[in-house]
Amino acid sequence: MSRTLTYYPGCSSQASAVHLDKSLRAILPPLGVQLRDIDDWNCCGASVGHIEAGHLANSALSARNLANAKAAGPEDVVTPCAACYLNTHYVNESIRGSEQLKGDLNEALGVVGKSYDGSLHVRHICELLVTDVGLDAIKAQVKKPLTGLKVAGYVGCQTVRPFANTERANKFDSYDDPTFLDDFTQACGAEALPFKMRTHCCGGSVSVMSPDKGLHLIKELLEEAQKLGADVISTPCPLCQTNVEMYQPEINKRFGTSFNIPVVFYSQLMAVAFGLDPVKDAGLDQNIIKSDKLLGM
Amino acid sequence: MNALSPTPSRAYDLNFARYVYENIDGGERLRMCMQCGACSGSCPIGQQMDHGPRKLFMMIRAGMKEAVLTSNTIWNCVSCYNCVVRCPRKVPITYILHDLANLAVREGFDAAKKADNARFAKAFMWSARKYGRTDERLVTGIYYFSFGLVEGMKRGMGNQKIALNMIKTKRMHLGMPHAIKAKDELQKILAKAQEIQDRHGKGA
Ligand code: SF4
Ligand code: SF4
Ligand code: SF4
Ligand code: SF4
Repeated sequence: MSRTLTYYPGCSSQASAVHLDKSLRAILPPLGVQLRDIDDWNCCGASVGHIEAGHLANSALSARNLANAKAAGPEDVVTPCAACYLNTHYVNESIRGSEQLKGDLNEALGVVGKSYDGSLHVRHICELLVTDVGLDAIKAQVKKPLTGLKVAGYVGCQTVRPFANTERANKFDSYDDPTFLDDFTQACGAEALPFKMRTHCCGGSVSVMSPDKGLHLIKELLEEAQKLGADVISTPCPLCQTNVEMYQPEINKRFGTSFNIPVVFYSQLMAVAFGLDPVKDAGLDQNIIKSDKLLGM
Repeated sequence: MNALSPTPSRAYDLNFARYVYENIDGGERLRMCMQCGACSGSCPIGQQMDHGPRKLFMMIRAGMKEAVLTSNTIWNCVSCYNCVVRCPRKVPITYILHDLANLAVREGFDAAKKADNARFAKAFMWSARKYGRTDERLVTGIYYFSFGLVEGMKRGMGNQKIALNMIKTKRMHLGMPHAIKAKDELQKILAKAQEIQDRHGKGA
């Protein structure tokens, strides 16, 4: 059975997280999901848009995306990026919950003849994989189990946390102990390590803005992964992947450590396990720190 | 600038708490804060904050407007939502901190011009407004050079190797920035939203 969903790739899909986008577009069709990109989608404002533009203007970014999504059809909007999910879901739910916000945003959209009624449902792709696709369907696609690969599953913070404990929570949002990432790892035939820091924060864009304030957070994550003997760290979050991977040389320089741990997306692991092309489909050539073990599988 | 919080020039403003409750995104729930400290206790960046959310919220009640809007607590938050999910009173702490930061920007506090996060936000929105997409190269470049030429060069050099790695792995492209087709349309929507925002003095 195949179904089409509306896809919001986010800016990182064209830059630091092309390999997330690429691997998702490879693994979803075999799992029965076709993606239809939001027409001419724009940036969601990430976690800083609000500070500069204010609540309403920042929300207007997501409102345009939602209006374009709705114009294409009533299907759920899915996104792989933690921050895109956070903003788009937040704005969507806020529109549903506030007539005033809905009116204000529609007034703004109205200047270009657009509108949005709040009727869509915004979801994280991982949630789609857990609740709609299901682990059994994922396992059924595994042709090359990643036997012996030790994976530290790093969920990060924004993927599951912002709506946990609120009336806006999707079924899968939780913050104590999300298990979905380890479930993905095991579905691929790899070993899920008991990585306790799975929802610790990596500092987000602070590592870019003010490395002095944030790099110790990444160092702590790497320490734990190293102690556990991780072959790779797996993550769903575009910024986590970039942060935890790219700053290892700088962290080594500052803290006298010697980290060299590959950081991959769960979707790259799935692409390899599904027997797809490690480069064209999994995008493993786009990880800065290569995993020889994974490349050799 | 209009419809901002009352008497922006005074360090103390007893109407500030009410302004925050009524105008800051999520502010109405702040009335429920019971000062338990779960937020500050769970903050990964708490060590780098002068006050932390709990104390900041107390300062809001005390009307310490200037101290609140120049506090680094509003700038150092990394949006990890640890506090939000732990708050027993469901105060949307992260949103409140971001909206306070925006208020500090709108009221033109000096600290709001100098903060790393504010400079970064400015560079980021510039790209989002101009192209409809964020170009990681331009955002970091503009951010670095917001500190001046010399500091910008220094910061840029520090990250040269990272940039090179990103180019090598085709995660940073060298051509024109990615842009949406309907840039005009987006700019019109944003301008209108800004106008409505200024009209109410708040978002919603
Ligand atoms: S959160 Fe990041 S990836 Fe998502 S649209 Fe915004 S800038 Fe782009
Ligand atoms: S990048 Fe870091 S800060 Fe952002 S969601 Fe991922 S873990 Fe959290
Ligand atoms: S956790 Fe909530 S109730 Fe407790 S101090 Fe923080 S904001 Fe107030
Ligand atoms: S969201 Fe901000 S204030 Fe809250 S715990 Fe995270 S960094 Fe601290």
